[in-house]
This record gives sequence, C-alpha cells and structure tokens, in this order.
Amino acid sequence: MRKDQTFENIIIRLKQYWQKKGCLLFEPYNSEVGAGTFNPATFIRILDKKPWNVCYVEISKRPRDGRYAENPLRFQQFYQLQVIMKPGPSDIQRIYLESLAHLGIKFKEHEIKFVEGDWDAPTLGAWGLGWEVWLDGIEITQFTYFQQAGGIDLSIIPVEITYGLERIAKVLQDVPSVFDLKWNNNLTWGDVYRQNEIEFSEYNFERADPEFLTSLFNKYEAEAKKIFNDGLVLPGYDYTIKCSNIFNLLEARGVISISERAKMIGRVRALANQAAELYLRKNSEKNEEESKEK
Amino acid sequence: MIDFLLEIGFEEFPPSLLKKTAEDLSVKVGKLLVDERIFYRSIRTIYTSRRFGALVLGLTRKQKPQIIEIHGPPKKLAFDNNGEPTEMLRGFMKANNLKATQIFTKKIKEGEYACGHKEIAGVNTEDILCEEVPKIIKSLEFPKTMVWTKGGFRFPRPIRWIVALLDRKPLRFKLAGVKADRYSSPNQHFSFKPIRLQKPREYLILLRHGGVVADPNERRKIILKRIKKAAEKIEGKLLYTDEMIEEINSTVEYPEVVTGEFENQYLDLPDEVLMAVLKVQGDLIWVKGTNKFICIFNGKKKAVQNVKKGYTHVVAAKLYDAYYYYKNDLKQGLQSMLEQTKKMMWLKDLGSLYDKAARLNRLVEMFKTVPELDLDVLKRSAMLCKADLLSQMVREKDFTFLQGIMGGHYAEIGGEDKQVATAIKEHYLPKFIGDTIPKTKEGSVLSVVDKIDNVVGAFLSGNRPSGSYDPFGVRRNAYAVVNVLDTCSINILLFEVIDNLLEMYNKDFDKNIISEFFIERFTRYLQNKKFRYDEIKAVLATWKGDVTDARIRCEALKKLRGKPDFTKLVIGQKRVRNILKDIKRIGVVNEELLKEEAEKKLYKKGLVTKSKIKELFQNRDYFKILNLLLTMRVDIDKFFDDVMVMCDDKTLRNNRLALVNYINSLFSQYADLSQIVIEGESQQE
Repeated sequence: MRKDQTFENIIIRLKQYWQKKGCLLFEPYNSEVGAGTFNPATFIRILDKKPWNVCYVEISKRPRDGRYAENPLRFQQFYQLQVIMKPGPSDIQRIYLESLAHLGIKFKEHEIKFVEGDWDAPTLGAWGLGWEVWLDGIEITQFTYFQQAGGIDLSIIPVEITYGLERIAKVLQDVPSVFDLKWNNNLTWGDVYRQNEIEFSEYNFERADPEFLTSLFNKYEAEAKKIFNDGLVLPGYDYTIKCSNIFNLLEARGVISISERAKMIGRVRALANQAAELYLRKNSEKNEEESKEK
Repeated sequence: MIDFLLEIGFEEFPPSLLKKTAEDLSVKVGKLLVDERIFYRSIRTIYTSRRFGALVLGLTRKQKPQIIEIHGPPKKLAFDNNGEPTEMLRGFMKANNLKATQIFTKKIKEGEYACGHKEIAGVNTEDILCEEVPKIIKSLEFPKTMVWTKGGFRFPRPIRWIVALLDRKPLRFKLAGVKADRYSSPNQHFSFKPIRLQKPREYLILLRHGGVVADPNERRKIILKRIKKAAEKIEGKLLYTDEMIEEINSTVEYPEVVTGEFENQYLDLPDEVLMAVLKVQGDLIWVKGTNKFICIFNGKKKAVQNVKKGYTHVVAAKLYDAYYYYKNDLKQGLQSMLEQTKKMMWLKDLGSLYDKAARLNRLVEMFKTVPELDLDVLKRSAMLCKADLLSQMVREKDFTFLQGIMGGHYAEIGGEDKQVATAIKEHYLPKFIGDTIPKTKEGSVLSVVDKIDNVVGAFLSGNRPSGSYDPFGVRRNAYAVVNVLDTCSINILLFEVIDNLLEMYNKDFDKNIISEFFIERFTRYLQNKKFRYDEIKAVLATWKGDVTDARIRCEALKKLRGKPDFTKLVIGQKRVRNILKDIKRIGVVNEELLKEEAEKKLYKKGLVTKSKIKELFQNRDYFKILNLLLTMRVDIDKFFDDVMVMCDDKTLRNNRLALVNYINSLFSQYADLSQIVIEGESQQE
C-alpha cells in the first residue's frame, strides 16, 4: 500500500481524477438521503437534455444496514462518491477502470468483475441497467446506465458511477475492518464514526418512534404536494427526499408489512414523479421564453 | 476459399442471455449463408462475458450462380405463322443473350409464353454480408434491453466494438454508432491495447495471448478441470450443477481458480443459507460438509492471493450476518415471532399477519376429508407459516427468498412436529410457473389456502390486477392455486373456499368478481395443458369449482371430439340451446302426452342413460359418461327430424319443451356442449 493511501486522500484523488475528465465538483445534499442518486445534482439534472457532468461525495444513510459497529463491512451510514456523465462517453468503462488504476489498483493482481445488477430506485421511479463492480469479490461500485427517472424515459442516457468509498479504501489499505481504516495518519474511521454507528443502530432498530415517524411522513407528503401545486420543484422535491428517509427509518424499525411497504414506496414515487414532470414542464417553458427573447 | 470472423464486443453481457444469444447469432449466420448459396466448411460459436460472434471457415467468395427461368413475349406474339421468331422474341433473345434453340414455350398463369433460362452470376459474399450481417444483429431478441447512445439502438448492454473481417478486409457497415473493423479487445486484466487482427484464422490464438479463451467449450473444460484440481485436496462433495458452471462460464474470459474458506462455526447454518451466501457472493462452489469453497475468477494467476483474501472476506462478512440473524432468530423462537405478527399489518384494513394466519388456521378445516391429511399438523402449520416473516434472516433482502424454508428450520429446532416444519417449508411453492409443487398433503393445502387468501385479500383491499398492474402477484397466486389443486388432486370446491373466506372477512364484496378471476386463470392453466378454448369453455360453463374434476372432463372431451357422432351431437345441442333460449317456464315431462314414436324413444333412452351415468359420475368416469351421452345422438336426431317441437297444441308443445329440457339437463351435468366450435364456425376468444 502507498503510505499516503488514507481515506481522505482516496477521496481527493478520485475527485481530482473526475475533475480532469470534465466533471463539476459538487458537495453532498443538505438533507438525509439513502444514496447520491437522490441529490438534485443527479435526480433533477439527468431529466433534461443539457449535458451534465458532476462528481460529489454523498453521505448515504441506510438505517436497516446498521450493525451496532459489529460487522466490518456494514453500517447504517457510509460515503459514496457519485459521478454523473450525461451523455456517457463511449469509453466510459475504461475511464472508470483507469480511475481505479489512478488509485493504485493493479489489474494484473486483482479481479475486477462487472456483475449484472439492474438498478432501480422504486421511490424515485428510476431504473437503469448496469453492474455492481466487484474488486476481488467486494462490491466497490455501482455502474448504471439510467433509463428512466421520475417515471420519465430519459432522452439523453446518463451514466451513473457510484463508488463505495469505505470498501475501496478497505481493499487499498488492506485492513480487516472498515473501522480500522486510516482516515488520515492519526485517526481511523472507527475513531470518527464508531459511536455514531452504535447509537444510530440502537435508535433505528429500537428507539425510533413509529407513530412520530408516520405522522412526519404524512405531513411531509402533504407539504410536498402543496408545494408542487404552487409550482415549486426543488422545495417540493426536498420534502420528497425527507419522506424517503422517514420510510427507510420505519422499515428499519420493522413496523411496515410487505404490502404496506409497497404502498408507501408508491406514495414517495408519486411525489418524485410529480417533481420530475414539473421540472421538465417549467424548463421547457423557460426554454421557449429564452428562444423567444433571442 | 476465404474465412469470416464476426465479433460483437460489449460491456459485460447478462450471463443468463449470453449462451443463447451467441448460439442464435451463429445459427442465423449459417442460415444466411445457406439461403444465399454461399458455401462454407465450418462455423464456430464464440462468446465470453464481453463478446460474442461466429468464426466461419472456408467460404466461397461468391454466391453460387443461379439459373432462373425468364418469361418473354406471349407465344402468340413470339412466333409468326411459320413458327419463326418475331421481332419481339428476337429482341428478348438479344437482351438476354439467348439462342433460338434455348427458347421453349411454357404455360404459366397468364397464358402460354416464350421462355428461356438465364444464368445469374453470384453476388460477392462481401456484399451480401455487408448488407445482411447488421440486419441479423438487429434481429436478435432479448427480454430486456437498454438505450445508451443517440439514435435509440437497443441491446442488453452497450456495443463498443465490432470485428467483421472477411479474410483480410473489414466489412463496411456501422451499427449503433460503431464501425465494423479489425480491432478486438483483450481481457482488461491483461491489457487495454486493442488486438489487431490480420485475418480470421489467427483470432483464437491472438485472443488467447490477450487473456481471452473465446471458445466457450474450451473455456468450460478449463473451468471444470480447475475446479476438480482444486477439490482434489479437499475431502467432501462438490456441490455444483451444470447451470452454475454455465453461469460461471458466461462471466469470465480467462478462468483461474482459488480456494477459500470460512470459520467452522458457520457449518451450523442450514445448508440452504450457506449455499445462498456462496451463490450471491459470486457463484462460489461449496464443498459440502467442509468449510471450503472454490472460486473461479477472471484474470491472471498473479491475482490469486488478493482474490482469495477478498472473497474470503466477503463470505465471512455475509456469513457473519447470516449467523447473527440465525442465532437471534433461534433465541427468539417461532412462537415469539408469531406474537409479533400481531403488530405487523398484512394489508390495509384487513388486519395483521397474525389475523391472516388465524384465518388460514380456521379455513383449513374445510379440508379435513382430504385423504392422507393430518388436520392437526395442517392447523398448526397454518398458524405458524407467516411467523418467519418477522425473523431477522427473512427480513434481510438477500435471504428473503428463504421465507418458509427458515420458518421450517426454526419450527423443527423449536420442537415442532417434523411434518409441521415440512408444511411450512413447502407452502410458498410453486413460486413461478414450472416450479416444484409441495410434496406433502399438508404443504399443498396450506399453499392453496394461503394463495387464495392472497387473491381475495388483494381484491378486498382494492388491488385487483389490471393490465401490467399486479403488485401483489395476484395472477401468479391464482394460477398456482389451480395448479396445486389439480396436481395434488385435492377435491375441494374452490368457490366454497372463497365463500368461506369472504364470510370470515365479513366484507361486502361481489364474490362473482373473484370467481370470474379464478375461472380466467384456470382457463389459462387448461390452455397451457393444451386443451382448446372451446373445450375449456364448455366444461367451465357448468363448473362447480372442483379443479381436477374439470380437467378430467376436458380430457374426455378432447379424446372424443374426433368421433363423427360428436359433431352431430354438438349441432343438436346448439339447436337445443336455441330452442330453450327464450323459454321461461318449463315443466316436467308427462309420459302420457308423448305421442310420436321418436319422442317416446328419446324419453326412454334418456331415462336409461340417466340411471346408467349416475354411478359413473360418482367414479368420475367421464370418458364412459361422454360415450354414453354420445349414444343418444341417433334418438335426438330422429326426434328433431320427426317431431315438431313448436307445434300449435300448447300442451303438446310444453311437454316437448320439457323433454328437450330433460335431455339437455343430462348433458349439462357434464358440460355445455353447445360451446364447442365445429368446423365452419368461427371460434371466438
């Protein structure tokens, strides 16, 4: 391992790499999300026909995956590095592979496997075809050609590349557990996040109040609908994201049945679909005005 | 002689589609060559995870020339009175380079014409391939495709290169924005540098240098050899199937092998769980009874240590999870999970999962007369069958498919009767069309009632399927119900089960909607059993709800419909239906009012037949019943020929109608034969 292969340096290197490939460097969204896809820099920006290349770290919250800091590979919160290239270049797979080489991964000494993984985010009405990328059996990236978002067929196909940063760092640093990852030369990932994992695991699985969360869900949903009716996309979408997170919490708490689950997903999806339609409608109006002015 | 190489390169193809698609492609290429009269010596299918194609050796450069008949002027205009060629014919001869001796006359549809044979030189193979190969690629069919580039070309994964090399020359065509050329791609673990191909014959060897075993058969052999070699050092049984090997073969270009292991404590897990973990972590092959697994990977031998470390690690993490769930679940026990199901909503306004289990527990009492069935076992398994949905194992998405299986394990370890455990394990079967059916009576009845309840519940909660909307898989559930009832010969009236369920729910709902839905699914089931639509319609028109019974009736009908009497009988039944259609009140036959010989005879025949078939119905000997009914045909025909049913005398008329109705009732005990379509009639579906 290279001496400077710290968690933070890995993030910096990837960001620099994608910056050179023409991506705008962006930052995480300011509200809890389950994946970088929820960030408007992905979900909203992939809808229209304008080129869009972006790279950002997203803090992903997956309440169900908490393990009270006892599993070396699973946590209720981790970092993703999200890359969107719209349209995807024809050599995008190689560009991606070279990003791994840029991190110091030698292809002759590892197996890098693209494992069929059709991706869908039912709460976002989004799906795509692609792969999980496995490095020696460990999933380090989700690589997807989006086909639909917000229930809308995308006119320009974006590629989404989502790196699981902890997992890549774990392989690069060759440590048995993510908690042992060197964040910098003084502190480990465990130093930073162990207590966070233990406490949130307990909260998510044992303490979260289902009634409180359910009422929040209902209120957020109502607010989102109202805002959409007022013609505002992004604030309405903000509440859509909040609904999705509340849903994840309720699911972790184990209080939703399989069929009720399908319904709640449908309710969030309806909001996401509304956001997407409204965004496209407003933007085509805007485009028309702009072209009139010209 | 020349050679041809076609290789379509893409980003990793879905393994389950690869072999079939590659084979389709080479079959189509072979067929094209045959159809186009291009000779070839051999054709070889190639595929790896990143490419498929065909290597064709020994082609002819051109199509074989073709001799076709061409038609000149009509005979009348082709020859003058002396039989000499006219100006017109000479023009035709000149244009086609024909001598007078080569001209013959022939009658074709339009009349008699002067004709000749003409040889058409073969077109260059190259031109044909340029034209047809892109069409072949476009004609490949897939269950799921994607778009990745402008123009909207669809394929399972993005096409990134095409090699189409005819001898030393690339074919000129473009597809999905990719130009056909002579550059292939090596295994990316070996190099990124494209492989330049001079000619098709060097393909396999140059690819091999680039870390690609392009011939799938050769690769399969290497895989099996490596697995066996790795297993030599381990004492245990290799657990793999041909499908697993094919799956592995479709995900690698250059197979290497490594053995990994996990901690012995995980051998406490049920085999199903261990195998599920190894499967999802990359088609790893378990050496049963040991803590070892064999992993085929794609890449270089140099990677062995890292690959071993990586896979060992993910397997350990996954097994850790599984073990953690398993121990927690065992600690908690199925009974306590059952208590928790009281808080788990099943469907909105339809109560909890516990309520569902309790409902099934009551409902199964209807089945107590089913032979070889232990009602106590059935009732207990009904009560417990949904409890494992609250187990941690089943709530984890990679293991959700073990629902039922885990419940069975937890039941058995928790001290329940072994039969109860088996019924719980089996009750989700069949999960898809063609899946296994439960083997035990208790398992199959539980499977049936659970699924009927799913269907009824979906209807009651406003989730009936329409179009592609079927979030609860109601269609699949209903299909499975009739499938299990039939396959396991469980004689129960489906409609009674539905009635009972609706009563338990105590909801106001039109039960005919649900019955109709089951009839529709049952129709589909019988169609899949190769019964014709009209046979099914005839039987289901008078159906009481016993699935097996209906299927046997269809079988007898199918066997007998070829008989000459049968068609006449059906015509008779159609007449009967028409006669009775508008009659509202029909009395019973008064024997004294029967005047004509034919009607007396028919009535007598009816009485005899009725008494004969009564016993046969109890034994479900539908073949004999239908045969007996067929023997009435002569008397029925005679009756219609000789007797005027709609006569003026009202008393006589009513009595004759009563007779017609009486005879008809004998038939409708079996089926509504008037539904059968006979030749000349159009069949409606």
